[in-house]
Amino acid sequence: MSALATPTSGKPPQQRRGGFQSLIITELRLLLREPMILFWALIFPLGLLVVLGSSTSSKPQHSFGGLRFIVVYTPVLMTFTLTLLSMSAMPATLASYRDKGYLKRLSTTPVGAWRLLAAQLVLVLGLSSCLVILIMLVSHFAYNVPLPSEFGGFVLAILLTMTAMASLGMLIASIAPSQRVAGAIGSILFFPLMFFAGLWVPQQSMGPTLRTISQYTPLGAAVPSITNSDFGSWPGTTHLIVLAAYTLVLMRVAIRLFRWDR
Amino acid sequence: MVTAAVATEVVSVEDLRVRYGETVAVDGVSLSIKRGEIFGILGPNGAGKTTTVECIGGLRKPNSGSITVLGLNPSTHAGELRERVGVQLQTSELPEKIYVREALELFASFYRDPLEPGELLRLLRLEEKAEARYANLSGGQRQRLSIALALVGRPELAILDELTTGLDPQSRRETWKLIEGIRDQGLTVILVTHFMEEAEYLCDRVALLHHGRIRAIDTPANMGAGLGQRISFRSDPALELGALRALPEVREVQEQGGRIHIEGDGDVVAAVIGLLVRERIVPEQTRVEQSTLDDAFVAMTSEADAELTAPPATETA
Repeated sequence: MSALATPTSGKPPQQRRGGFQSLIITELRLLLREPMILFWALIFPLGLLVVLGSSTSSKPQHSFGGLRFIVVYTPVLMTFTLTLLSMSAMPATLASYRDKGYLKRLSTTPVGAWRLLAAQLVLVLGLSSCLVILIMLVSHFAYNVPLPSEFGGFVLAILLTMTAMASLGMLIASIAPSQRVAGAIGSILFFPLMFFAGLWVPQQSMGPTLRTISQYTPLGAAVPSITNSDFGSWPGTTHLIVLAAYTLVLMRVAIRLFRWDR
Repeated sequence: MVTAAVATEVVSVEDLRVRYGETVAVDGVSLSIKRGEIFGILGPNGAGKTTTVECIGGLRKPNSGSITVLGLNPSTHAGELRERVGVQLQTSELPEKIYVREALELFASFYRDPLEPGELLRLLRLEEKAEARYANLSGGQRQRLSIALALVGRPELAILDELTTGLDPQSRRETWKLIEGIRDQGLTVILVTHFMEEAEYLCDRVALLHHGRIRAIDTPANMGAGLGQRISFRSDPALELGALRALPEVREVQEQGGRIHIEGDGDVVAAVIGLLVRERIVPEQTRVEQSTLDDAFVAMTSEADAELTAPPATETA
């Protein structure tokens, strides 16, 4: 729709920022009113971290590449929480907003509907960062998982993982006609993505073929990048390229396919 | 710059045409709306009403024709117009878990000089629902909130699409009173409706749209008046129907269950009463009806349908 793309002219920038800020705050409040999302994105991964950290062996395991179970599992839980927010919560919200006509309603106001998309992205990236930091701190202080000593590599790997998953979320939001369909696509994709991340079988225990496939999925590339940076090495170039490529391709397709109206 | 001569004209549409693929939704609509007017756009489903106002609101680009809203072109000045035009869309909902006050404050933050949300809550009698979630509002309350959101930016023009659809009769009347009150504050309103009663009650002028074309633009009263009057009564002793039919003002006479129904032009009532006096007949249970917008609507749309050989245009909701 052309009306959405038209720049707002002759208005004080102060006012526009005011509207954008209120959109972010309102979207945050609405998200906090969804107990299921809070459970799966916050309580479940933290609970799993505590259960696994307290119950699994504190000795390095040969089948985990000479690492402790919780060290292998912490990056998996980080990808779990950010995937849930960007690939399940965000597309379901956006699809329902389009289905209800809320996006179109916003496009008749000076803020425009695209600022709602921007607000959702800011929110998901911000919340994901907070949850990743929380998991990192809990696993470090409670279970002695090393903090990433290659911090720059860690930040880059996490940021690229978040943008890749947010792009996938935007793509789902752009093709799903309703909240139910968006939710269904999110759940169907969630299991293979998390499988390759190593939620059920750690990558270190996968066979060579499975492990190779895994390196080319977004979360399969994300987890070893984070593990690497925990031990002071820069994430693998291939992994970073895989994550960047998913971000660019998925975001491009999402932008092309996105509809504001039913 | 807006010159003094056109300052009273808020909306001007000339030869607007919109196609959806093969279907022609709007086929050469022209209209002009003055400041402070409540202008009704009436027509059956699929007439092109929503498409027309979406073009005026800058939500849709016309295939051809020119539109000026508040002196600006909606296609090139959409940003400025979104600040000055309030739109209430047909079938647009809010997030389920947003609170009424929260929604009003959110929308108020979008505008340069918004109304006080508390003031709007009072005006629309939503105060006791201010802390309720959108999902828990009744149809009437949702509609009132939707109107409040369209007004929160102090618009100069409000476009209200299907204002009272889905409301019970009492909420509908209350909403009408509200719109009247707002108009008294100098707001211009475009009202899209398919309720004749609503247009008759609220609108200063009405455009009748059918198959993407304007069939008539006039005041609701004038539109009905063109169709004449109806009178019906019982008479004892029985009246010779032939004498009635002989009157030049009479178009049609029917007798149903002892009751005589006469239809004719604007002077038919006087002519019939004159005849009754001459014949020394006292009519009982007399009823006189002015033709309404409803009749005008039915007459004009069926006339137009008879002219048309093409299948009716379909409207995307």
